Amino acid sequence: MSEAWHVAEERGSPAAIGLLAWLTVKLGRRATRWLLHPICWYFLATSARARRASKAFLARVLGRQPGTRDVMRHLHTFATTIHDRVLLIRGDCSPFEIAAHGVGELETILEGGRGCILLGSHLGSFEVLRALARLNGKYAINPVIHEPAAAKTSRVFARLSPESQDRLIRPGQLDTMLKVKECLERGEPVGILGDRPLGSAKALAREFLGAPALFPIAPFLLAAALGVPVVMFFGLYLGAARYEVHFEKLTDGVFVPREHRMETAGRWLDRYVERLEHYVRRAPYNWFNFYDFWAAHRI
Amino acid sequence: MSQKELENEVAGLIVEAVNLDQPADALDPEVRLFGEGLGLDSIDLLEVALAVSRKYGFQLRSDDPNNERIFSSLRALSAHIAQHRTR
Repeated sequence: MSEAWHVAEERGSPAAIGLLAWLTVKLGRRATRWLLHPICWYFLATSARARRASKAFLARVLGRQPGTRDVMRHLHTFATTIHDRVLLIRGDCSPFEIAAHGVGELETILEGGRGCILLGSHLGSFEVLRALARLNGKYAINPVIHEPAAAKTSRVFARLSPESQDRLIRPGQLDTMLKVKECLERGEPVGILGDRPLGSAKALAREFLGAPALFPIAPFLLAAALGVPVVMFFGLYLGAARYEVHFEKLTDGVFVPREHRMETAGRWLDRYVERLEHYVRRAPYNWFNFYDFWAAHRI
Repeated sequence: MSQKELENEVAGLIVEAVNLDQPADALDPEVRLFGEGLGLDSIDLLEVALAVSRKYGFQLRSDDPNNERIFSSLRALSAHIAQHRTR
């Protein structure tokens, strides 16, 4: 299953992606945004897999049979966040209205010097969070993200902002968690997207939008073993040029003895899944898992 | 402490740190720890690293160029501990 989303994200020609990124940097967001329409129509026509996944997801969350319009809106929301990422990754927030909630709590935690795990998801934009952090200038995020070096989009974004690559931590490697621990010891936040497995088989099933799905618990085991706080974040795209970032503290950062870790991780996962569902319902078209999210549990 | 004794001790530490189902003395000292072999993942290795630093008084670090070798087996890890332990 873990291959499914990599395949899904590997569509499109690198030259076309590079050209669109270049035009966006040269001409700006407004002058290039119309291009997203033909691109989305192209994907709608050629990617049966994404179309199917989108329809199945939207039917579940909207509680009605979605039409082509809904699927187009879904693809267009995704395309928008990728398009906007071109500017955000270079630190250009000027075209956007970004409303941030709960920043105070996050800053209090980071000022404590223990670092924290910033736990997100593939709902909305991670880049808006990173841009926000850079804007504040106080802290840089170390993202644990699967960006295969060969991936076409990764290469384009790496060229746009070489320094954004410096802090990347690759999941599933022997030293992944040692790197994470060292970042936290320096008091830095580590970003993890908690809705897909990170090269660890440790996962629990939770009811999500009415059916059980598998969620990784590695982020929670990590927080429990190191005694670091977890702050959830959700970076939602809300139409036009509006983004909304929410931070919510999940745990205070207490060390949990080994014998209680699984149980504690399960409780934290309950809360995470509950908040994820809350924000999915608030911004359903921001769901960027274009594969059968519930399939892993059925296997 | 002999090599064998230290390996037994480290085996016990690994079994406890990651809740392995097998007894410590059944652990093959040459079996791979990460991935195929014993099947430990990155979070397990973190647990092992934390236990090692508590017991032997030194840190296993991500920037050690020898990490692949250090974590390749119980035997290699024990040899590394023998070299770097402060207690």
